[in-house]
Amino acid sequence: MNTNLRIAIYESSLIIRNGLGSLLKKINGLPVVLSDISEGDSLGESLRIQKPDILIANPYLLQAHSLAHWREEGGNTELKIIALVSTLLPEEMLRDYDAQITLYDRAESIKQTILKLVETQEDTEADDEQQSLSAREKEIVVCVVKGMTNREIADRLYLSTHTVITHRRNIARKLQIHSASGLTIYAIVNKLVELDDIQQVKPQM
Amino acid sequence: MSDLICENYPMVLVMSRFGIALGFGEDSIGEVCRKNQVDAYTFLTVVNFLTEEIRAVTPELCERLSLDTLVLYLHNAHDYFLDFRLPHIRRKLLEAIGSCPADVAFVIRNFFDEYALEVDRHMAYEEQTVFPYVHALQQGNPDAKYNISVFSRRHEQIEQKLSDLKNILIKYYPGTGSHLLNSVLFDLFTTEEDLSSHTLVEDRLFIPAVLHYEKRMLKDKK
Repeated sequence: MNTNLRIAIYESSLIIRNGLGSLLKKINGLPVVLSDISEGDSLGESLRIQKPDILIANPYLLQAHSLAHWREEGGNTELKIIALVSTLLPEEMLRDYDAQITLYDRAESIKQTILKLVETQEDTEADDEQQSLSAREKEIVVCVVKGMTNREIADRLYLSTHTVITHRRNIARKLQIHSASGLTIYAIVNKLVELDDIQQVKPQM
Repeated sequence: MSDLICENYPMVLVMSRFGIALGFGEDSIGEVCRKNQVDAYTFLTVVNFLTEEIRAVTPELCERLSLDTLVLYLHNAHDYFLDFRLPHIRRKLLEAIGSCPADVAFVIRNFFDEYALEVDRHMAYEEQTVFPYVHALQQGNPDAKYNISVFSRRHEQIEQKLSDLKNILIKYYPGTGSHLLNSVLFDLFTTEEDLSSHTLVEDRLFIPAVLHYEKRMLKDKK
């Protein structure tokens, strides 16, 4: 996770709101951008403005409508909603939430709860992502197969070596091929290169 | 012994790498090992390790493990991969891709040969450097310039490329499929697993055991 996670807290108690907020900020390895939504504010409007990834909310404050309604209202159907549980609540009230945080949770378990939600989010994104290569990635495959170094590829395509490396990492992830000689087979099969183009070069190990 | 094999058939490979042949009748594991002069403790340790009954080695375990037996096991596994498994897959693979375009068949063969060479190099290092070192260590006169941590640092996985080939065949194979090609694919899956557990035995069992032996020798000297 490279980018900050946007978390909104929707809770009527100022003490709980601020307490949870300062706790979240102190958790290592979990960069967050926090926003508060107090009881008086319109939740839907606040969600639309703040665009959080995760909403941590007191279930009593949401109970007038279904969670789907609030996601709709906030304009983000992917919004994860965590119940902030401070009292004993009937089970069916919590059933639809993506996760729960209780007042007695330790920092570490809160961190895990949140990370778990974000990870599944990233996984589904990876699944949805186009698995075939972009035109640029194909160009890079051709260069790799011809035995060019990252530096040479960068010069040829007017990119930084850093970008070339990122491209190569994405190529390996999309194709599940991690070796240059494996890419050679891919390039031949998909007619990106001719055998003559690569016969002279010894593929790097 | 037959219960062990039937319950977990990959153990047949383990058994044969300890130099135990099929046809052992009703004998128990202990009896079979005794008859074949195999250290039963080491045999069981490897089996339990591979079936994940044992996850980490303890000093007591290292103390009782026979390094000779373990080296024999690893050596036979190398022979199996280099002299049997890989050539066998190569033959099948070449036959299976006979119907695909010549240039594709050519690069696939190249890929495989390159890979086989890599495995050969990897295992040759262990055969020519690591095993002689361990042997000398047990004789009490190890090479002072070498220790097992050198090996542990440079020891790499070797199954990654095999997995590449597998993915290429699954996703991009241009010819028509065949029973033989499916069979090659099955071989690639099992060989990948086999190689990865082989590496695991070396990393988690063999290296710690040798390390333990090195430490004990140092202590004895003092």
